[in-house]
Amino acid sequence: MDNLSLFISIPAAVAFFIPIASHRFKWFPDVSASVTTFILLLLSLMTLNHETVYRMGNWPASYGIVFVLDGFSCMMLIIVNLICFLAALFSVDYIEKFYTSKLRYYSLLLLVVTGMNGTILTGDIFNLFIFLEVALIASYTLVGFGCSSRNLEASFKYLAINLLASYFILLAIALLYGKFASLNMAVLSQLMKVNPVDNIMVFAFVLLFVGFGIKAAMVPFHGWVADAYTSAPAPVSAILAGGIIKALGIYVLMRFVYNIFGMNYLISTIFIYAGAMSIVVGVLMALGQWNFKRLLAYHSISQMGYIVLAFGIGTPLAILGGIFHILNHSLFKPLLFLNAGSVEYETGKRNLNNMGSLSKKMPVTAVSSLIASFSISGIPPFSGFWSKFLIIVAAIQADKPVFALWAVIGSILTLASFSKIQRYVFFGKGKYFKDEVISEVKEVPYLMRVSMIVLAIFCSFAGFLLLGGLNGIFGPAVNALAGGTDLYITRILGR
Amino acid sequence: MIYTLCFILFVIGLYGVVCKKNIVKIILGFLIMEYSINLFLILLGWRKQGFVPVVENLAGVENLVAQSVDPLPQAMVLISIILGLGILSLMVSIAIRLYQRYGTFDITEMNKLKN
Amino acid sequence: MIEALISMLLVFMIIAATIALEMTDLLSAVISIGAVGIVVSICFLLVGAPDIASTQLVVEVLTIVILIRATIRHDLVTIDGDREFFGLTVTIALLLVFFIFGLKAFWNLPEFGVPAISEFPDAASNHYLLKGFEETGSRNILAAIIFDYRGVDTFAQLCALFAGIWGAFAIMRVQSKKKKKKEDLYHDKK
Repeated sequence: MDNLSLFISIPAAVAFFIPIASHRFKWFPDVSASVTTFILLLLSLMTLNHETVYRMGNWPASYGIVFVLDGFSCMMLIIVNLICFLAALFSVDYIEKFYTSKLRYYSLLLLVVTGMNGTILTGDIFNLFIFLEVALIASYTLVGFGCSSRNLEASFKYLAINLLASYFILLAIALLYGKFASLNMAVLSQLMKVNPVDNIMVFAFVLLFVGFGIKAAMVPFHGWVADAYTSAPAPVSAILAGGIIKALGIYVLMRFVYNIFGMNYLISTIFIYAGAMSIVVGVLMALGQWNFKRLLAYHSISQMGYIVLAFGIGTPLAILGGIFHILNHSLFKPLLFLNAGSVEYETGKRNLNNMGSLSKKMPVTAVSSLIASFSISGIPPFSGFWSKFLIIVAAIQADKPVFALWAVIGSILTLASFSKIQRYVFFGKGKYFKDEVISEVKEVPYLMRVSMIVLAIFCSFAGFLLLGGLNGIFGPAVNALAGGTDLYITRILGR
Repeated sequence: MIYTLCFILFVIGLYGVVCKKNIVKIILGFLIMEYSINLFLILLGWRKQGFVPVVENLAGVENLVAQSVDPLPQAMVLISIILGLGILSLMVSIAIRLYQRYGTFDITEMNKLKN
Repeated sequence: MIEALISMLLVFMIIAATIALEMTDLLSAVISIGAVGIVVSICFLLVGAPDIASTQLVVEVLTIVILIRATIRHDLVTIDGDREFFGLTVTIALLLVFFIFGLKAFWNLPEFGVPAISEFPDAASNHYLLKGFEETGSRNILAAIIFDYRGVDTFAQLCALFAGIWGAFAIMRVQSKKKKKKEDLYHDKK
């Protein structure tokens, strides 16, 4: 699979085609979105263990645009397209029940996929900025898709904060261009090695750190997360948690840090402290929540903290843990959001106090949510345990036992708040629970079940992917980051 | 000097976004930030006594390299202007709908999410 | 000469932008932002970017139309004052710190009028200028860049424009949620 342009052209073409075809064929949006995302998932699986540089229009890297496929971007492609496929399947019934205007929904969903794939693959900073904007503009609408006052408020907040971040990023790109007269990431990386660090590079790095930190929901910049996740339709929350903050936030930030600017002690320290803060602040804010989706949103901040901490430590083992935690968080957090969506689909409730005893009526939802909860709180056989374990071991190896302890504490608090969900929603009863709420409840439709079951299976068995350790399936991804700037420059420019 | 003035314009836009509580003013703040970055990019590419980057006679191509302004920032700005238009239309439509729901443009009065 | 002219225009823009933000009447604020946009367009014309100037002019007109649509039908009750974010003084202090920190970076840039491409002979722009006509057949190098060398940018830009306008349609649609049967879904009552 060497033609990387398919990852952006297929979803964009279908997105443009949906509004035209849907007036005649009512089934077209559902089917086309699911089929397209499934094809993209297959294509991204075919890129596994490939490393290639695709030249757009056959212009060489120094003055054209190149798409770069290495281990890390391949991993992200698979994660993003898997989540988008399952979310598209889940949307079929969910959107039908709650919202109008399906064709606009699917069209924008596919544009989000286009933007994320483009951001992951591109090797040019300005091109990256535009693809990032494509994904973000489409997601602004999806967050406010219900158009109730709360949806719109959350959407505007999300838009304002992220647009601010985007302009910071654009200013940083302009500054870098003014200094180095180049937009290609590899060329920039090469020039930065030759030239001494000066104020322009420092200021550009600060702007990029703030900009992508906002998009990655790091702790000083996490203001938009809870509102946006709570207001969005459940499949969109799943994409936000599993795709957007990973592909547009942490992935790009790590590309910049490891492959363009180059990691050093100061940057590493900043990341470690930001990650440690995120872990505890997110989980503490989640503990007091009674809204199902808002609780999950705060946990997202906390889990992103683990990833940032791992990348901050920066040893190959820590990077392995970080990448595996990205994968795990993209499995269990979307699953939990889909569970929340299913519960809402059947009962119409979001507050934990109003629910109860759903485990008998909705066995699939209850069991999958149990698996996801075990996984997110790091109970041994499930996937979340292995990545947290790796991060903690890496922290101890790197002589930072305080942060290892910190991560363990975060994990215990996570367990506490997820036992609350299990108790109130599925196995016990909430404070204001009434029996008539669940009298007509039954299991959700088949397609919604399928996407939850697939994610639950992955959550249970993803630990096996770690077999082989640094030489296993994650080996190329770890190498791509641990190889630093040199490997990246050689891969793209060939010298 | 001129770049500094551009940066002042950027900071004014930032002030509008961060401090104002009227939604329309926030949108204007974003517009000012966009203008300042676009202008900054174009000014970065300017050359003293520079030409427009158009090939007029084929013999003078080498001349063009020495005397034309930088065309790449112009391409970036062209794209960023159109991008700004898309974002603006979305922002304004959200603002209009918010006005319909709350009856005001004041962002401090929109606090249903907090409850 | 041209430096002085552009500096004057920039000072004018700074004044107009401040007026636009501080004016209590929204319509006047929108008109002031229009003035800023037009002056930006004039600046583009002065520094050798006529294509951008005309695009900016057209987009500026559209911007003003959209903004006036947002403000004109609604009552123009004046909303005074600023947001209590951390308290106004703290915010302005933070902005000042940001400004002073950034200023050092801006002073390190190459001198105005000497673009970075003259310092880096193998920069992409130099290749476009030298080989652009030969390789693409376009006399306008800008057209060669946006349609050929960096065509993916244009593709993505169209996706973004489509997403913005299609999103605006989605946000403005009349009935956005299906009728609810039993209870209000989004307001959990006790």
